[in-house]
Amino acid sequence: MTVRMRLLPLIGAALIGAAAAQQKPDENSDLELIPKAAQAPAPASNAEGSAPTAAPGKIYLENAFTQSWQQSGLVPIPPPQPPDWQERLLLDVRKDWRLASTVTLAYSGRVNLRAGQDLSFPSHENATNDLREAYASWEPLERTYVDAGRINLKSGVALGFNPTDFFRTRAVVEPLSVDPVVLREDRLGTLMVRTQRIWAGASLTAAFAPAAASRSPIYRNDNLPSLNPMFDRTNALDRFVLKGNADIGGGFSPELLFYRDTEQTRWGMNVAQSAGQSVVAYAEWSGGRSASLIDDALRFGRETGTLPPAAPSALPENALQGFQSQLALGASYATQTRITFNLEYHFYQAGFSRTDWNNWFRAGQGQPNTSPIAGELWYIRAYAVDQQVPVSRHSIFLRADWVDAFIPKLELSGFADVDAQDGSRQVQLTADYVLSDAWTVGALALVNSGGQRSDFGSLPQGVSVLLKVARYF
Amino acid sequence: MRPSISIACLALALLSAGPGFAQTAQEIVAATDKVRNPAQPFRTTITLTEYVAGRERDRDALAVFSKEDPATRQYRNLVQYLEPPRDAGKRVLLDGHSLWFFDPDSKVSVRISPQQRLIGQAAIGDILTVNLAADYAATIVATEKIDDAARQPRQCWHLDLKAADDLAVYSRVEYWVEVGSFYPIKGKFYSDSGRLLKILYFRNFAERLGAIRPTEQIIIDAVDTSLVTTATLGEFAFQEIPEAWFQRDYLPRLQIK
Repeated sequence: MTVRMRLLPLIGAALIGAAAAQQKPDENSDLELIPKAAQAPAPASNAEGSAPTAAPGKIYLENAFTQSWQQSGLVPIPPPQPPDWQERLLLDVRKDWRLASTVTLAYSGRVNLRAGQDLSFPSHENATNDLREAYASWEPLERTYVDAGRINLKSGVALGFNPTDFFRTRAVVEPLSVDPVVLREDRLGTLMVRTQRIWAGASLTAAFAPAAASRSPIYRNDNLPSLNPMFDRTNALDRFVLKGNADIGGGFSPELLFYRDTEQTRWGMNVAQSAGQSVVAYAEWSGGRSASLIDDALRFGRETGTLPPAAPSALPENALQGFQSQLALGASYATQTRITFNLEYHFYQAGFSRTDWNNWFRAGQGQPNTSPIAGELWYIRAYAVDQQVPVSRHSIFLRADWVDAFIPKLELSGFADVDAQDGSRQVQLTADYVLSDAWTVGALALVNSGGQRSDFGSLPQGVSVLLKVARYF
Repeated sequence: MRPSISIACLALALLSAGPGFAQTAQEIVAATDKVRNPAQPFRTTITLTEYVAGRERDRDALAVFSKEDPATRQYRNLVQYLEPPRDAGKRVLLDGHSLWFFDPDSKVSVRISPQQRLIGQAAIGDILTVNLAADYAATIVATEKIDDAARQPRQCWHLDLKAADDLAVYSRVEYWVEVGSFYPIKGKFYSDSGRLLKILYFRNFAERLGAIRPTEQIIIDAVDTSLVTTATLGEFAFQEIPEAWFQRDYLPRLQIK
């Protein structure tokens, strides 16, 4: 027994040694996974102290061709009809210049060359310029900033609908996609003065945007100005926003907002927080006294001369204002296979109820497309798009994004915007493939579907396909 | 306990421990963390070269600003994409559970989950500065000889690291640290389900920021082993990094000076 016990450590050591001996070839076999091209170490060019060189901006040229197929609905759309095809070549530039250690200039814009079924050629409509941003930024004190010029001031944590993004209204110009992520990129900034102070764990921002132009009618695809910066879209009212956030522990940093313009006051809050390793939950709310979407749209249309000022509406009007909330509740979930899902519920209290939809279809059904009633009904929906709000009161939004889908450098994304009241939906799928550092190709398909008496099912555009190629410089 | 058994246990312990067991596993990992990154705030650039099926496919460059959080002993990172042009200007804040991504095109900061921090090249910048001793409980498996990235044999502590808090991105890490020098030689990173996700080799040791440190890593995607990335660190500098930088509203303001 004693001999056996004395043998134990030797046996144990032998086993450990044997295990180690077996591990070594296994561990060293991982080296076989290193490609030959990567086996030589990089040359030691790593001098200390030199600052990295940051790219001063981003420039790319993109060509996009869109083909659409229309569907007929119960309520005919007034002329001009949406185009069946459109071709766009755009030069997109975003650049920063540092004039001094505390002063920078920023520019962001897009030059478009356009042709389409609805555009005469040649005409000034074939060339348009979107001045998204042009502003100067000054840092008089450390982490205290004063910015002046045209600025894209954005807020919000949700993806499909941002109730606290107060400067989104009327700002989106000719987007290539209705994906809310793209809509955030293709929009005009607002002429404003903004000041911001950033502390450890907190920040405060105040911005004032003066009324610099009078209100204009909603733009159509065929009446966009070529060079006019369109301040009438972004600066028709005096507007002020104050917002701040503070980390109150564990990275929990809700943002509170106060917004006021010459017509309304709104309060807002947004918050996003991780829940476990894979989930981020978020909520975004704003509220204030305002009219319904129908009344707002009719008033705007009459003020800007699109709708006759004295004509009675085809839909019941209610001039009284009430407290109206906008809400986005959602969560993202990321998988280990590089897919990120976002699921959101959107509530737009001023939007259409079931009764409003019934009234809308009842009023428009059987009308000729040249009738003022059809014009007014579709104007309300165009107004919602211009204001970047949903038409319906309740909707569900699902988006997925898959990086390196099936093969490296292929990104697939898609979203479904579902009207929770009638089940109609807008679905878009996008594929982008990175050919090289300079070149990307992509395609997207958009489908609006649902019953004839539904939100998305009644839209004139049934299916749309876009092909694009981009060259980065 | 009979003397013979005691002697046997002692002998087993001595045989299995080897010369380096004077240090605890946690001390070894902490010492290796110091080899990899300095305690003072610093910035560096990381050039990432991606190989697909043996061929160079892509090259990215990131600027990384790192600062140790005295409370968690973990690095907080601000990462800015420098190249390629398509991604230039994108920024990521990686600070414990406070993870935000800023895209200069949309001009919006979006909160991301710890799982999402593993998506994209910024994750590599993050993994290179992680202080393993802060979030993992280490045990020594054995001392053994393995080949380093240059196929030179190194006598190493083979350590097993288990996530000790919810800040740990990986559930488990296997780690090989050279005995004596505390140089990191190799790491294997596992998911919650035990799936091997990444294999890291450290190489090109050179004097940077006052110590000999690895200046290059090879990252093998263990899920798809045809994907290999080399990360070359350069342009090191100590830099004061104010606390105010580590929040979402600073991301649009970040400038490389």
